[in-house]
Amino acid sequence: MLERFHVPHDEEIRIEYSELRRLSVEILIKSGMNKKHAEIASDVLLKADVRGVDTHGVSNMLRNYVQYFNEGSANPRPNWKITRETESCATVDSDKGLGVVVVPLCMEIAIEKAKKTGVGLVSIGNGRHLGMAAYHAMMALDHDMIGTCMTSSTTNVVPTHAAIPGIGTNPIAVAAPALKKAPFVFDAATSAIATNKVRVAQRIGVPLAPGWITDEKGNPIMVDTPLKQSDDPNDVAGIMQTPVGATRELGSHKGFSLGMVVDILGSILNGSLAGPLRTFKAHQNHFVAAYSIDAFTELNKFKEMMDEYLQILEDLPPVEGQKRVLYAGLMEEETTIERMEKGIPLHPEVVNWFKDICSELSINFDINGKGVGDA
Amino acid sequence: MEKGLGMLEKFHVAKEDIIHIEEERLRSVTKEILMTQDISEKDALLATDALIKADLRGVESHGVSNMLRAYLGAFKSNSLNPKPNWKIVKETASCATINSDNGLGIVVAPQAMEIAVEKAKKTGAGIVTMNNCGHLGMLAYHSMIASDNDMIGTTMAACSPRMVPTYSSVRALGTNPISYSAPADKLPDFVFDAAMTSVAGNKIVLASRLNVPLSPGWIADKDGNPIMEEVNIEELNHEDESKNLENRYNKGYISSSVDLLPFGGTREIGSHKGYSMAVVVDILAGILNGTRTAPTGEYKNQGHFVAAYDIDAFMDKKEFKELMDRYLQSFLDLPSNSEGKKVVYAGYLESIEESKRSEFGIPLHKEVVDWFKKISVELNTETL
Repeated sequence: MLERFHVPHDEEIRIEYSELRRLSVEILIKSGMNKKHAEIASDVLLKADVRGVDTHGVSNMLRNYVQYFNEGSANPRPNWKITRETESCATVDSDKGLGVVVVPLCMEIAIEKAKKTGVGLVSIGNGRHLGMAAYHAMMALDHDMIGTCMTSSTTNVVPTHAAIPGIGTNPIAVAAPALKKAPFVFDAATSAIATNKVRVAQRIGVPLAPGWITDEKGNPIMVDTPLKQSDDPNDVAGIMQTPVGATRELGSHKGFSLGMVVDILGSILNGSLAGPLRTFKAHQNHFVAAYSIDAFTELNKFKEMMDEYLQILEDLPPVEGQKRVLYAGLMEEETTIERMEKGIPLHPEVVNWFKDICSELSINFDINGKGVGDA
Repeated sequence: MEKGLGMLEKFHVAKEDIIHIEEERLRSVTKEILMTQDISEKDALLATDALIKADLRGVESHGVSNMLRAYLGAFKSNSLNPKPNWKIVKETASCATINSDNGLGIVVAPQAMEIAVEKAKKTGAGIVTMNNCGHLGMLAYHSMIASDNDMIGTTMAACSPRMVPTYSSVRALGTNPISYSAPADKLPDFVFDAAMTSVAGNKIVLASRLNVPLSPGWIADKDGNPIMEEVNIEELNHEDESKNLENRYNKGYISSSVDLLPFGGTREIGSHKGYSMAVVVDILAGILNGTRTAPTGEYKNQGHFVAAYDIDAFMDKKEFKELMDRYLQSFLDLPSNSEGKKVVYAGYLESIEESKRSEFGIPLHKEVVDWFKKISVELNTETL
């Protein structure tokens, strides 16, 4: 993540992984989920927090999920099921269940299929938010497979040449294992930035960079754009985002088209409406795939070559002003090691939310986080 | 051509430089030229179809103008095998890896996609990776084989180094294009095909030939920094780009010293996404079949990836195609921003162009027509 998105160090409050997970599980159970599902969902959320993907961890997402359950827009006890199936493929109806629960279970199906035929694909309809897409793609890593996850989401993004939004931020995640090196884990919106980054920018009070949003007529704004500071996650309504690339000449048609690929695989392929046809905001549909490396090449040879490949990228001489060249997943792995040891840094506003919700739901908010008392 | 998502206006050949050639004529001449290279008639037909499809769809950068002479150069310098004995080296119910025996991608990949389609008919999905392979032409050609079979098609190519990764001062990755196609009912199919750099390498060749400037965010300076203003190729402190053209056409490889940026241009606009997508292509199209892709040692050949996902495995295909029509139409119906250009989807303009060119002929630059005349004399084939 860009530096501007991090919680300022002098404000952060560190909470241990296990403590935060306990709170998350209890909050979700009190909100109507069963224990198994609450644990799966918390694993997805906490994975984002330890990897430094603060946008998709407990800070932004947990309160949204609680709100979805309260207003009835997501089902805490989904009776999800496979509606069509072949040896390598399946279509799933999520029964309005959160993607942070249904998608990991679907990825398990994809992995089982890939063990038999070499590849497993699941297209998931009638779904809700899936958290950090990388979590689901990364499930394939433990099985020596390459994983993919995509989400066809709410239309906040203005297609190339258009005046109004017509497509979601539609992220794509791909994970591939290495031998000794941190695995390659890519996860990015096909818009210039994820909507959650706009939320973080509002909370922290930093301007948006050129090429991230459009003016009210859909024209990409190519200068820094200040946002009013706000803790209300719903304040992003009305902000129109650009596809990756921002303008046609920088390749916005590529970001837009990749977003369409996500709509087609994640929504249309399971019969859901997508893009400008979408009618319901909370509706999000998904696509996961697992590719067995063993089906294509010798596993160890693949992993050794991955190590060599990733090392070369890491060793590239950086441009002036930069310390090093990164590959996707490297910094997240380093952050994981640091945060598992030192705890997860939260913004005081988030800690206050936890206190309030715990008191509201009669959950014991007794954690050993450093500085919690000051919040 | 209508203004919109198709190739940028500046890449179109100027009217006074255009000579229209009838599709069938270009086909027959191209096939004959290829057959002088010891290629079987069946393979020459495959290669010709892939090249002409690019020209018909307005993707001049990957049609006969650039690629035919590059392929001839590659055969001449023995860097391509005209009679590849390609074979499957590993296989499961849904997957296969092919050793292409240094054959041309536009010959091997269509056959690999046929294998993927056959597998997908049985299990729902078919994926084939190819190592030791030559140039793939326009990727969309291969993806479209899947959509013609009511499947979703994907094609990726791990190419030689041209891209400067985000924050790097030197090039390390290929332009590594990705293509997807998905069938619609009455509307033109969705057909996406794009390099993970801001522009395809072939577009730099086109810009040289047409003498047009490069846009901001397309290339890096010699230290790897994104150039964020318009620039002429001659102004750059690079070796003569015409030497690249010469190598391209005589030996069949790109020697361009122009480093390309990942799409997005800069980190803040999302170049790390173009860069990472290029890594995904290297992994799926390269490492997964044992190809030593761009940064790992001496680059020799390309690796490719094709996949077909059978729509019928997920839902009723008629319902899917009707939904696709509604989905695609909803983009065509969006109002335009202040620039006033029509909102289109990938494949829409290309399809219109294809109908037009099938009827009125394929517009070639007069320099290309001259080349055809010269080569026909040299190879003793029928002239254009």
